[in-house]
Amino acid sequence: MDALFLIGPLAIAGISAVLAAVISIVDLIVNNYGECRIDVNNGKRELEVTGGAPLLSTLAENGIYLPSACGGRGSCGVCKVKLLSDAGPILPTELPYLSDQERADGVRLSCQLKVKSDLKIEIPEELFAIQQFDGVVESIRDMTHDIKEVRIRLVGPQEISFKAGQYAQLVSRPYGNVKTAAQRAYSMSSVPSDRRHVEFYIRLVPGGVLTTWVFEELEENEPIRLVAPIGEFHMRGTDACKICVAGGSGMAPLKSIVLDMYEKGLTDKQVWYFFGARTRKDLFYVDELQEVEKKWPNFHFVTALSEPQPEDDWKGEVGLITDVLDRYLKEKVGQDLPKEGYLCGSPGMIDACVRVMQNNGIKEDKIYYDKFA
Amino acid sequence: MKMSPELKQAQENMAPGVITAEGFLGTDRRPLVDIIEADEEKMRLFEIGFEEAHEKMAYLLKEGRRGLGDPITVDDTWIVRTDEARGFLPCPFEDGVFRKVTATVTRRETDSEITFSELSLHLLEKHHFLQGTGSSFRIEPELLKETLRL
Repeated sequence: MDALFLIGPLAIAGISAVLAAVISIVDLIVNNYGECRIDVNNGKRELEVTGGAPLLSTLAENGIYLPSACGGRGSCGVCKVKLLSDAGPILPTELPYLSDQERADGVRLSCQLKVKSDLKIEIPEELFAIQQFDGVVESIRDMTHDIKEVRIRLVGPQEISFKAGQYAQLVSRPYGNVKTAAQRAYSMSSVPSDRRHVEFYIRLVPGGVLTTWVFEELEENEPIRLVAPIGEFHMRGTDACKICVAGGSGMAPLKSIVLDMYEKGLTDKQVWYFFGARTRKDLFYVDELQEVEKKWPNFHFVTALSEPQPEDDWKGEVGLITDVLDRYLKEKVGQDLPKEGYLCGSPGMIDACVRVMQNNGIKEDKIYYDKFA
Repeated sequence: MKMSPELKQAQENMAPGVITAEGFLGTDRRPLVDIIEADEEKMRLFEIGFEEAHEKMAYLLKEGRRGLGDPITVDDTWIVRTDEARGFLPCPFEDGVFRKVTATVTRRETDSEITFSELSLHLLEKHHFLQGTGSSFRIEPELLKETLRL
């Protein structure tokens, strides 16, 4: 009687196992794209790869790293490549990120495009310089209530070469309920002369996958991976007066740029650096930059608080950083000097600063900022 | 009620770590379709129209931008802080991507407060989804009515 009772469940289990095996076999046959060849930049690199995976990860496995602010999840639109061969129609998941011109030019999102056949692609030449680094977290310091400084010693490769102002993509590990690694872009705040380390200022974003990991999980001496150097944000070697504006963790690339210029003796350049915050507790690295100001007569560091509290005992500039910037451009920064703008902060702050700079005669093509996404 | 494949996929996308660290469902274990239906009923109970709420919230978020990340007073009634981080968030219903813009709105008279993002505005307007119970970005109808004076 007991044996008879088990026949039903066993039969169902057996049928399920057979069906699962059939599905696996069919999947192997249908989704087997075999070996594919990827030609990058007309023969500069030629890759022999196993097809089936997204182009972004396939390239990364072969040492070619495309920027991706979302780690390949299809939510940032950064990982674009130009396709010089046919790879089928544009996917619905790519459409929100491609302009009409980009579509006409054959631009695709590499995280959405699967390698199913031979491909010819074109990528910006500077992307060949991007490498993957393994490092160890050397220190984590609180800079403000919501910004941490993370300093990493590089282990493999042991040295990095980058331009002050560029950024890296940090890779988090799974933690808590977050089951997969994530990648996010952060500007490097360290100076390029320190080739054994990279440093970042990371601001906690409510609900953010990677910043939550940094603030709640990451520990000193923990291994960490990053991809770098990336980006077009760097100081141009002209004689123009540099007008720099940042807020919060936007300090990172401008700190790197200012210290790099000072180290290289580029102190004949006029540099104005405006750093805005709400209250005194939101400011950081002020003392260090004020020390640079004492040693570099052409460097002017202006801090502004938008809502100083009584306990701040604030004697500096008051107001939104855009208002302070506007006032200085009209009254204090040499009117006859050609100027360039360098901005780092929230997209809203950048948009507002661009307007102020243009209203004060700085041409749009002379205003530089990083568009991470 | 049976869920369509699209709703099932949306619910999977709402899990912690897929789009945000915490996800969109909080501690709510109900099927997504039940969560939405229950909140539609709640909004009816409190006589709040989804479009009406969306319009007010979008207005306050936009006004808050003038503070460039710092709180400002809007219409002498609310203190709004609109903040933005770099990057985008895809909608779990896979019908758009949104900047990481968050607004915290506090009604000066009562100190009642709500927090919402550009994405949560879209979820409210297009999908009538107010997020699961326990989610940090859940929009509770009663609090919405009180804070926004709807």
